[in-house]
Amino acid sequence: MSTTRDHERGPYAREQDLYPAERDIYPSDYESDVYPDSGVYPDDAIERWGSEGEPAADHQPRRPWSKVVDEWMEGRFKFGGAGVKRKTAALIVLGAWGFLPLFFMLPSLFTFNTNTIGGSVDDTLGTGAMVNLFMCLLITPAVTLTGQRWFVPLRRWYGIMFACCGIGDALGAAFFDDFAGNPFAKLVEHTFTLIGFLMVLLAIPLFITSNNWAQRKLGRYWKRLQRLTYVIWALLFFHLATLEGFGFQRGSNGSGFAGDGDAIFHQRLYQYCACSLFLLTFRLPPVKRWIVARQQEGRNRLVFMAVMPIFALFLFGFIFIVNELIFKGTHSFVENPSSE
Amino acid sequence: MNESYAERGYAERGYAERGYATGGQKRTRAEKSTRAGGAILAAVALLSTFLVLWGLYYATGTGERHKVALAAAGCEPNLLSVNVGCTTVWMLERQWTQLTTSDLQQLNADVADYTVNARRNLVKAESALTAEVTTAKAFDTSLAQFPFPPAVAPASNNLIQAIQARIKLTSEQARSSSLTQLRSFNARVNASGAAIQADLSLVHKALFTRPAVDQEP
Repeated sequence: MSTTRDHERGPYAREQDLYPAERDIYPSDYESDVYPDSGVYPDDAIERWGSEGEPAADHQPRRPWSKVVDEWMEGRFKFGGAGVKRKTAALIVLGAWGFLPLFFMLPSLFTFNTNTIGGSVDDTLGTGAMVNLFMCLLITPAVTLTGQRWFVPLRRWYGIMFACCGIGDALGAAFFDDFAGNPFAKLVEHTFTLIGFLMVLLAIPLFITSNNWAQRKLGRYWKRLQRLTYVIWALLFFHLATLEGFGFQRGSNGSGFAGDGDAIFHQRLYQYCACSLFLLTFRLPPVKRWIVARQQEGRNRLVFMAVMPIFALFLFGFIFIVNELIFKGTHSFVENPSSE
Repeated sequence: MNESYAERGYAERGYAERGYATGGQKRTRAEKSTRAGGAILAAVALLSTFLVLWGLYYATGTGERHKVALAAAGCEPNLLSVNVGCTTVWMLERQWTQLTTSDLQQLNADVADYTVNARRNLVKAESALTAEVTTAKAFDTSLAQFPFPPAVAPASNNLIQAIQARIKLTSEQARSSSLTQLRSFNARVNASGAAIQADLSLVHKALFTRPAVDQEP
């Protein structure tokens, strides 16, 4: 039975109740005004004003595509004699990639190959942390644009993987890097390592509280705490800027000395900016309101046209980050760390 | 009293008017905000379009920049890696140094151990020779796996053959039954050592000679 309050909370209020654990994992930007309950589906409204006059008594309003997908994902399929939820299978397939950076480092961890750990942990786990952070931050814009919610649990998973990669990167840098000094000194003696260390320090409470128990205990403060993710996101800019000469190539400093002739594409700061533009734009409340308004008007093509170039830029940056991860990661996996 | 009611009524009316005005302002703000959202999105989409097109244009010049980068970074063009498309001389030097430093130090230590015991302790001398054979075999395997560029391949093959000859000789020497027999191998072993030294120098020289840009395959 629908209450007034439910009505105010919007059409996703019921679905949010289905995902109490995942709803607020990592900063959530879902405001009730993003998906206001108009009561009439846009396409349906158009049909009512058609030449056919009043709709038939058995007329069913057309359900939005996002809802259809969410419901389809709740269905099951047979796998090995057992029924498996489509959503579970999809989440496992999509979430497995988050574990990839740690997987790449496993052989050197099992054999305690300090040469590989010291030589490539920063590249493999550092880049992996960046990939996971962006994937975590991608969930909210994806919900805004698609209206689907079945993939929301991935936000928690990518967040946890980000924290694991970041902490692993810091430990590797502290104990196996060839900087001078004790482990703590290694983490704070350069500006970029200091910023990276701060990011890891901020990631630790997020990691610890990324469970339902902590969510219940912290109540409304939990969400505020999880907003530290945005601080980490901002610090990542300064980490990469100081790591790679503020985007300007100086000698062999930075990834821009790549011999493949695509130096600019290998600059991590540029990759960060290309990806962040998309992630930031679709978090701005006016932009979200504009998208929802156009979607309600049924002008999805306009939304698509506006989103495509920004998403293309995101992909442009993200592909090169993933390329870096796979290249450095495979070298780490065979315990022959890349000297690039 | 009446005045008071009137005042109250006025106040209530005023409150209601203010409330109505606030609601209207809120709606206006929301409309403005939505329009602002459209403007922001349009601006960002235009910027992104420009950047993507520029990126595609930039990508068309990859080949030319690749050649320039090869020359500038001292790349070995015959080694193609997945990411950067070349292996720099610096990278090869680092890999080569990593490979040779520890193995050659160990070999020298084994030879020194043998030299000390060659005249007085057969068991220890043979043990040193066995250790030398083990180290030499490991070094030989590492060399076989090293990504030598084709230009260096002949020199590296000679080096590997020289090391294998030395391994064979040293293995025979390690099976000697007396110190005299053991020392009888010394001249041949020293000659094979000199051959290895010469081949190592050749490989080193060939490896660190910067190829010309037009040598790129």
